[in-house]
Amino acid sequence: MNDDTKPDETVKAAGGNPVTRLLGSLVFALTIVLLLALACIAGTLIPQGPQVESYLARPGGHPVIEVFISLGLTRVFYSWWFVGLLFALAASLLVCTGRRYRAIKSVTGAKRLRVIGSFITHVSLLLVLAGGVVRVIWGQKGMIQFHEGEVVNSAEGSEGSMALPFSLRLVKFELEFHKKPAASEAAPVEKLLVAWTENNLLLQFPIELNVERSVVAADAPAGTPPAFKVKVLRYVPDFILDASTQEASSRSDVPNNPAIQVEVVGAGGTNTQWVFARFPDFDSHSASGAAMPLKFRYYAVPADEMGGQGDIKAFKSTIEVLENGAVVSTRTIAVNSPFSWGGFTFYQASYHPNDLSYSELQVVRDPGIPIVYAGFILMMAGLTLVFCVGPWMGDQRRPTGGLS
Amino acid sequence: MTTLFNMTTLFNVSLAAYFCAMVCAVICLMSRRHVFDLLANGLIVAGVTIQTIYLGIRWVEAGRAPFSNMFESLVLFGWTVSVVYLLLRIRTKLPWLAAAAAALSALALAHASTFESEIRPLMPALQSNWLSFHVMTCFLGYGAFAISAVASAGYLIATRQGGTAQVETRQMLETIVAQTISFGFLFLTLGILTGAVWANSAWGTYWSWDPKETWSLITWLIYAAFLHFNFMRGWRGRRAAWISIIGFVSVLFTYYGVNFLLSGLHSYAKS
Repeated sequence: MNDDTKPDETVKAAGGNPVTRLLGSLVFALTIVLLLALACIAGTLIPQGPQVESYLARPGGHPVIEVFISLGLTRVFYSWWFVGLLFALAASLLVCTGRRYRAIKSVTGAKRLRVIGSFITHVSLLLVLAGGVVRVIWGQKGMIQFHEGEVVNSAEGSEGSMALPFSLRLVKFELEFHKKPAASEAAPVEKLLVAWTENNLLLQFPIELNVERSVVAADAPAGTPPAFKVKVLRYVPDFILDASTQEASSRSDVPNNPAIQVEVVGAGGTNTQWVFARFPDFDSHSASGAAMPLKFRYYAVPADEMGGQGDIKAFKSTIEVLENGAVVSTRTIAVNSPFSWGGFTFYQASYHPNDLSYSELQVVRDPGIPIVYAGFILMMAGLTLVFCVGPWMGDQRRPTGGLS
Repeated sequence: MTTLFNMTTLFNVSLAAYFCAMVCAVICLMSRRHVFDLLANGLIVAGVTIQTIYLGIRWVEAGRAPFSNMFESLVLFGWTVSVVYLLLRIRTKLPWLAAAAAALSALALAHASTFESEIRPLMPALQSNWLSFHVMTCFLGYGAFAISAVASAGYLIATRQGGTAQVETRQMLETIVAQTISFGFLFLTLGILTGAVWANSAWGTYWSWDPKETWSLITWLIYAAFLHFNFMRGWRGRRAAWISIIGFVSVLFTYYGVNFLLSGLHSYAKS
């Protein structure tokens, strides 16, 4: 049996200009596709990135490595030849799209629908590539790293600082955990977290009444006396404050609102404050005595949630947008829940497990997105016409496959 | 609900249904008795039905689409292979295709049973409504490509030197290969696009040349080349069958190889 049967002649080869003929030929297009596929394989199998490059380029390396690096094989997807292949693909698509546009007029009925679908699909690919070019030329990307209370008006991009036309304040960072199943035998989590931001220090202590804990600076030499001494003075399972006497007491024995009273003694004096498991930000309002650089968190799992913390469920940053010093918007950003303002989109990127007042946001400005998304919509519309509507309306070429 | 439909029992029954379907289809091939063909297809329908119930219960119990790890994706892969086969079965009757589809589904479930099946909470990046749409569309594509590869392998065997396959059988296989690749290409494209939109929402970029993304693009390019050769050059037969098989090797690497051999943004998928 002959492998080849009658090809479709709807989309005729371009005549005239030899460049157009070359770009519009199937052999050229599929050669580019093959080269792109091979480049993609290389880009996934060869370790990529500047770190790999600097590792390979260390003194005393083999001369072949220099050739390897100069060919861009450690940054395949950003190399001149890969970008050249994408442009060659775009040129081929452009010529083929023009041919398909002309072919629409030469056919009728269901076959016309298929050719229109094919035309739309090729246009959509051009749009996706164009959106990518817009992103590369006019897009911006940077990172914001800040602590609670801090205000920033720029982000750090790969090409230096990236100014924002407004300011952002990190109001609050929250880390949420999944609950472990009730049947879990894990011990309930109850601990006091002590963060010393300036010292990049996070300590955790079990909740034990009147047991003194020492806080020593991370870089302090051995034998240095502690900078602070921390002690849990009181535990209240269901905190309530008498408004007239300002005395704290427990409404019941059920841990509905567990709180601990923490005393800190440092060179500047003594500070006492209540720390609440369910209201981690309330400590600053209840502090008395000398100001302290330490921050406290009280992690407690109520009896009805026995089983303790599981995996991380979410990490969120509540931010305020400030324009001319005034708050114009407040939003909570989480993974899969970005926030857009003034042409910039903010994504929750990371956090620091040892500094729970710190958050890292990614800032992206990509004017190519509407073009790319228009390409996505057109691509599905075009392919649906080719594979579904065309055959359904009676374009019964056999076999049914056919991306013209 | 769990007491009414024990999850493990449902899983095992669907695995057994696929295995028995494969045995019946093989007996049909050897004995040429039509009753075994009916039995094989009935068992595949039963397997798909039970698996659908299993997936539904797991979805309800987990409170999310059950497509987030290797166990769940293998179960879904087994399901999509048989669903695509049953869609084809409406117009095509090939007992050996039933045997192959049932064998693939059974193999997927058997392999799934080697992974941890406990329902675990989702990591933050996966907590999105895009999860179900993205994974389901990709796997419908994978299922179709699996059937196309099986049909292509069948074609290569049937048309080898000295092969005695009838012209009708060859034409039917060519049609199956082209139809399943068209179907798979449509769904793979949708899967890649929904993945891109989701990535833009989660990571701030719709394309980051992550190994999984890149290999899905390689797969897409191979099948796009197939469709162009098929339509523009009229390629059918053995050459088309070989491209189809190469495409499925790429699918397998995209799905399986990338998870275990290459690290990237989709690394959670190997757990």
